[in-house]
Amino acid sequence: MNLQTASPGNVAGLFAALSDPHRLAIFERLAAEGEKTVGEIGEPFDISGPAISRHLAVLETAGLIERRVEKQWRVCRVREEALMAVEDWVTRQRRFWNASFDRLARHLENQEEKKDGSARKR
Amino acid sequence: MEALASDDRVLKLQREFKAAPDMVFAAWIEPEQIAQWFGPEGMSVPRKEIDARVGGKWLTTMRGADGAERIVSGVYREIDRPRRLVFTWAWHNDGKRGHETEVTVEFRAKGEGTLMTLTQRTFAESRDRDMHQMGWSSSFNDLARFLGG
Repeated sequence: MNLQTASPGNVAGLFAALSDPHRLAIFERLAAEGEKTVGEIGEPFDISGPAISRHLAVLETAGLIERRVEKQWRVCRVREEALMAVEDWVTRQRRFWNASFDRLARHLENQEEKKDGSARKR
Repeated sequence: MEALASDDRVLKLQREFKAAPDMVFAAWIEPEQIAQWFGPEGMSVPRKEIDARVGGKWLTTMRGADGAERIVSGVYREIDRPRRLVFTWAWHNDGKRGHETEVTVEFRAKGEGTLMTLTQRTFAESRDRDMHQMGWSSSFNDLARFLGG
């Protein structure tokens, strides 16, 4: 995976950044539960602090999350624009197929009638 | 059938049709048929270039009611009529192919009809190295739940 291609506003980069199960889990949790400290983010995982930091850096580079320092804590949260961009692609694609399949069902019924001709008529 | 690894992130859709698998399959690869159903209601498909063989390219242009056109294209990877069809998929943005995915469509006889399963997933880099510089290995699963799956 080429992480250099990940940049804000680039859906391709968003998906590349989310291609790792740890990063996806981190992102999903932040999206569902709101902002968290780096320590909280690492809790569910059996991986090192530096590994968590690397994942967070990738997510940040991709524009999926933003990090800030609050008192002595480092806090992360999802960027809403990124969430919308990711949702948008999947949602649009799913809508495309479902709408197409509605038409495909009608098209196949027409085909069936054509094929069978009078044999099927009752 | 290819097994899904637990961490695969996929868009998966299932639909039943009242037609035999071979008829449903044909609707995917015959240009005149594709034009009848590809895209949401109101879309027309003025351009459809379909080279339905393994390694063959396909490209369709969809025109909305407003006249705006969108292009989507890919390459056929597997054609196992009437069971399984695999092809790559990318919308074009500003003349460039965007986010590349792989679409697998499986057709299973069910009564007199067909249970069709569409799976769309991002690429693993190794499978895509000839065509693209960017690697894909995942999509975003929670936003792409099974529909009737």
